[in-house]
Amino acid sequence: MAVYKRNYTAYTGTVTPVWARVLVLARYAFEEAWSSKITVGLFIFCLLPCILSLLVIYIVDNPVARALIGGRGPETLEIDARFFLKVLATQSWLALVLASWIAPRMITLDLADNALPILLSHPISRFGYVFGKFIALFGSLSLVTWLPCLLLFVFQGYSSSQPWAMSNLQIAIGLMAGSVIWIAFLSILGLALSSWVKWRVMATGVIFAAVFVPAGIGAIVSAVLRTRWGLLLNVPVMMSNLWQRLLGAPESIDERFSVPTLAVAVMLSLATLVCVGMLNKRIRAREVVRG
Amino acid sequence: MGVIDLDEVEVRLAGRVVLNDLTGELRGQAIGLLGPNGAGKSTLINTLLGFHLPSKGKASVFGLDTHKDRAQIRGSIGFMPENDSFIGNMSGVRFVRYMAELSGLPSRLALERAHEALFYVGLGEVRYRKVNTYSLGMKQLVKLAQALAHGPKLLILDEPTNGLDPVARQRMIQLIKDIRQEGSIRLLISSHLLRDIDETCDEVLILKNGRIASLCNIEEERRSNRSFIELETVGATERFSVSIRGLGCECAIFPGGRIKLVIPENIEARDLYVIAAEQGVQIRRMNQRRDSLEDIFLRAMDNEQGVKEQGRTANGSL
Repeated sequence: MAVYKRNYTAYTGTVTPVWARVLVLARYAFEEAWSSKITVGLFIFCLLPCILSLLVIYIVDNPVARALIGGRGPETLEIDARFFLKVLATQSWLALVLASWIAPRMITLDLADNALPILLSHPISRFGYVFGKFIALFGSLSLVTWLPCLLLFVFQGYSSSQPWAMSNLQIAIGLMAGSVIWIAFLSILGLALSSWVKWRVMATGVIFAAVFVPAGIGAIVSAVLRTRWGLLLNVPVMMSNLWQRLLGAPESIDERFSVPTLAVAVMLSLATLVCVGMLNKRIRAREVVRG
Repeated sequence: MGVIDLDEVEVRLAGRVVLNDLTGELRGQAIGLLGPNGAGKSTLINTLLGFHLPSKGKASVFGLDTHKDRAQIRGSIGFMPENDSFIGNMSGVRFVRYMAELSGLPSRLALERAHEALFYVGLGEVRYRKVNTYSLGMKQLVKLAQALAHGPKLLILDEPTNGLDPVARQRMIQLIKDIRQEGSIRLLISSHLLRDIDETCDEVLILKNGRIASLCNIEEERRSNRSFIELETVGATERFSVSIRGLGCECAIFPGGRIKLVIPENIEARDLYVIAAEQGVQIRRMNQRRDSLEDIFLRAMDNEQGVKEQGRTANGSL
């Protein structure tokens, strides 16, 4: 229909495949998240440690640069699994900050304006809706986690005077796996909590609380019951354990703060299931009022 | 194959039967869905959209099962929900484009259709404003635009004139009439406003307590229905009523000389004056009207047993 005619004519053109609709959701969610200047500011802030790490790698691998700063370098700092563990941990906690800002923007706006009935009346399932948002959040968090970490790994492999990359391939795999597990968990957690809290600022706080409050409870449990299993409520400790083992870094954590990998995997899976249940309960085109 | 086929559809929500044994075939170009609040109109629409799974029976749209083929159905449906439902942070054109893309239009074509749909519904000048700055009438229109943009085969409008002022309502009704006239879209319009359905639809499904109270073609119903006359008389009303019954009229007498009657096709109002003159009865007032959608609706509401007994009840009441 032409604008000047202003009468209705049916659409007879081609349609995109059904699976591509998820990408439409992801694209719009991504655009929505990144339309905020605060998101861009946070992103730049999240990259600062990476830039610092890049400089460190450059200095360590470059004799001229080392000479310029007084010959210090390899003696005090070595680019190994422990170095990348620190980078990964820093980037992962910064990813939490970014997720707590972005996730509410993706879901709470839809819920606040009751957009779900209109969105889900299109050929997109509830799973597709959540998956689209998940892709957008996962993609956004990837920009500050595994992508810069792997770039640092590649840069170290390139600038090292010895053949370094192949002999330290586990670090790359660990960076990738550790980041993906963490940001996938953060994404599902962020979406689930945002779907229950319509107020964006509150949702941001709730995401932080969901990570740190159970840690406090876990510490109380451990202290009262004189057990270390309370650590299974402590996400920072669990993830530190997991990252360390994935990167093959030497044990630096006190034995008292060590939890089995299987227990960490089970706890993360359980938390993810709870999040999926929360999303399943909340992401509906219609609410059924009981009674 | 009808537009919508219902085969003993039962829907339970939270353990309560909301739709009960709905059976019927809706074929009209514009189908009205009428019923009092809580009759099950929105639940039926949600069932057709695949949001609710029938606990018994089967519902289909264009021959496609509403549960199994819901993605396919949703692709060919445009839905305008009753309540506010939009993304307020987006401009009108971006919102409509987004919805069109979700329906399967490629990005560039979706933008083109979004502009056109917004011009079509009369929001061309405000299409770059954020939706949450729109007035209530504009929000209704942007919901209509998003339902139209992807060129659906069936347009479901849930209370389209909800909250509109008379001018905006008239504009909405005119748009619906235009869409109906264009002919490529079937319409399902849910409303509790009889006038809206009367003006736009050719078939009506009336629900009551989750059951079908009436399913009829409005035009045919009007043609087949009889003329009603209300009289105010002075004089020998009883004798007068006996005489007019002799003409084949059905009538009921009320205090104060008021008579309500249904006259057969071959009887004119003039015949009543003749009888009244013969019997010395004065007709002080005569109000003649055809059967309206309101009568059909009220009869359906009075009918406790639903559609099965509708015919019997309608013949026996005035």
